[in-house]
Amino acid sequence: MNEAEEATLSEKPSIADFARIFRRVQGEVHKAIVGHEQAVEELLSALFAGGHVLIEGVPGTGKTTLVKTLGLALNLSFNRVQFTVDLMPADITGTRVILGGSEGRREFSFQPGPIFCHILLADEINRATPKTQSALLEAMAELQVTVGGTTYPLAPPYFVMATLNPIEMEGTYPLPEAQLDRFLFKVRLRYPGEDEMVRIVSSTTGPEEAGVETVFPLAEAASRVEALKRLVREVMVAPPVERYAARMVRATQPENSRILGDLHAPVHVDAVNRYVSFGSSPRGAQALIMGAKVRALLDGRANIDYEDVDRVAAASLEHRIMLNYAAHTDNVDAAHIVEQVVKAVRTSRQ
Amino acid sequence: MTETRRDQQKLWLILFQIKGVRARLNSLALQQSLFSTLAFLIGGAALIWGAALFLSPLLFLFAALAVAMFALAGIVRQGRRGLRQLANSDRAAAIADQRGDLKGRVATVLALAEAPKRSPLWPYLVEDAYSRREEFAPARIEPRWVSRSIFALLAAGLMALAIVFSGLRSGNQVRRTVAGSARGQITADIGNLEIRPADPALEPNAEIYADEKTLRKLEQRLAAAQRDADQNGLSRWMNKARNLAGDLQNELTGQKTENAGPPLQMRLTDRNPDQSDGSASNPSSQNSSGQNGSSASRANSGSGTAGDGQTEPAPPTTSMPGAEADQLARNKSAFPAQPGPDPADSAFQDFAGGGSGGGQGSSHGSGSDPNGLFGPDSSRTLGADNFKITIEAQASDESSRSGSPGYIPPRIRVPLNSDQYPDEPLERGSVPSADEAAIKRVFQR
Repeated sequence: MNEAEEATLSEKPSIADFARIFRRVQGEVHKAIVGHEQAVEELLSALFAGGHVLIEGVPGTGKTTLVKTLGLALNLSFNRVQFTVDLMPADITGTRVILGGSEGRREFSFQPGPIFCHILLADEINRATPKTQSALLEAMAELQVTVGGTTYPLAPPYFVMATLNPIEMEGTYPLPEAQLDRFLFKVRLRYPGEDEMVRIVSSTTGPEEAGVETVFPLAEAASRVEALKRLVREVMVAPPVERYAARMVRATQPENSRILGDLHAPVHVDAVNRYVSFGSSPRGAQALIMGAKVRALLDGRANIDYEDVDRVAAASLEHRIMLNYAAHTDNVDAAHIVEQVVKAVRTSRQ
Repeated sequence: MTETRRDQQKLWLILFQIKGVRARLNSLALQQSLFSTLAFLIGGAALIWGAALFLSPLLFLFAALAVAMFALAGIVRQGRRGLRQLANSDRAAAIADQRGDLKGRVATVLALAEAPKRSPLWPYLVEDAYSRREEFAPARIEPRWVSRSIFALLAAGLMALAIVFSGLRSGNQVRRTVAGSARGQITADIGNLEIRPADPALEPNAEIYADEKTLRKLEQRLAAAQRDADQNGLSRWMNKARNLAGDLQNELTGQKTENAGPPLQMRLTDRNPDQSDGSASNPSSQNSSGQNGSSASRANSGSGTAGDGQTEPAPPTTSMPGAEADQLARNKSAFPAQPGPDPADSAFQDFAGGGSGGGQGSSHGSGSDPNGLFGPDSSRTLGADNFKITIEAQASDESSRSGSPGYIPPRIRVPLNSDQYPDEPLERGSVPSADEAAIKRVFQR
């Protein structure tokens, strides 16, 4: 690839470029991560869709390795914050410290925290207090941090990956719904199978480390990723597909929801009425469309289809659905609810 | 500029192709509605016509109503289905996407073709859809030109042809039978006939000849039967329904205008002129006669109406020359056993004149009618009959002191001696013809 082509690619990548780069990053990540193909694809989809990801998995499934490898492959700045119960917001955002000037004057100077980077790993985010958790809200939604009355912008691309350990609940603070809603996708890292376990052992206990190569040069990495994100937004959506995504999100709300009022969802799902106390917010529809756009580009299309929406429904909606007590007693999870919703909405379309 | 024009041409071609898909889909939807409606109309009409030909008026009425309702429901359903299948451009594009596995390309092109602000990826989308134009060609999306519902129409047409053919064939057979039977003269005894008001749906097609006395008797029995029919409200409604159904049948089968052939010639005789006069004047005995007469009617059921259209005297199953019948009518004492076609009608077979005795209400074993004394031997086994007697009595306390249990008579079963027989009906035996007059005189006393 010559310089001219590289320059064009940096300014305006084509659909083919997108698919090629995506697959290359995916390949680099899989040099270090065994299995989890769907999780890696969803993670990259969220990155290029401009969202953030909540990663849930038991210890030892490669959550931290996955995030670190992604940062290495994209050649973007990467920080990691281990959330603990005594972590304070200033430990993340940064704080103002008194520094001595050259003329002997002492001045307050802002020392940026670890939040100032391209890729942030918030490890075990549910171990921090809600106050500290909410320190991420402004950064995730608005790409800026306000400290001491001064707002500091974050350099795009900005990508937060928070991990959750689903089994150690003691001493944790479940994320509030407002914070959960900020994550575009929730990615589950499932427990590896026996074959995958063997590959993990052989690849991590040998003398050679996984040689992850960078996909972008350091100077262009941020701009290249931003160009790819712009391309995703240019993918076209026909009005019926938008309506389909909206209908799917509406269908996650139970019929007796106070939020809906007189506006009843056109699709009724029994499982939702029985087990859901509150369904997805409108951000769920945005997540559906953005995720579907990435999928369309990967398929070499400039438009999204109903099938693309279906494919990203689980990752987009699961963490946005609040289950009631009946769901816990009947051992019904959000994945089952989303599956029922997709089935019902798909049927209503035909 | 050239690129833009070329893109525009490609867009037009895509939109034109979508129109082609739409036209074909709508053509099939309309065809389906049309063919299905015609199939229901033709099939329903054929079934109703067949029912008019082969069923009795009341059955025809019910069958025709059922068929008409079914056909109407089918037509409405198919009409609604056809309307639902009519496709606008969006629906045609969605169907093209689905059947051509185009993943929304065509629908997106159509939806965003008129958008004021297009995405930078729009030329790519148009080019992409254009390069796949073969996959959503109308002939590929919907290969059929003619709807499959034409098979339903063909099936209905074949069924209609079969019904028409069999109807015409059956009509010819009936005409031949009527013509054949009309060549001879049928003779019947008025006592063997059940007289009831004629089915209003049936057209009179018989001529009855009889002497004056017999005709008067016929008139009296007709009046009595009409009174009975008028007293029953249900039968009035049934008659109205029959009338309606009959008119419809006649209209459908064209029997009103069609020459039904020469009328049936029937000679009416009367073997018991004295008794029948009395029965006709007594409505209660007429009812009794009706019971026996109904047996006779089953034996003699058939077509044919009286000349006034009010009576339907069923022709007897035997036809004999008029002279022989007259002779038979004059010979009052010699009743030939009627060969009743219905074996179940034992009363009629046992007493050939039982029902013809002018409605005297004779029955097996009554003994009140001397005419019913003689008949063929019965093969009844003894001991097969029994009877019950109901006794109304009050219980009485026959004890000397109040409160003590009443006297309960012991149950005693006394065996019959050698000269005693259980109370059973006697077996009918054959009576020598020489003794008949003497026995009859005894019973008439």
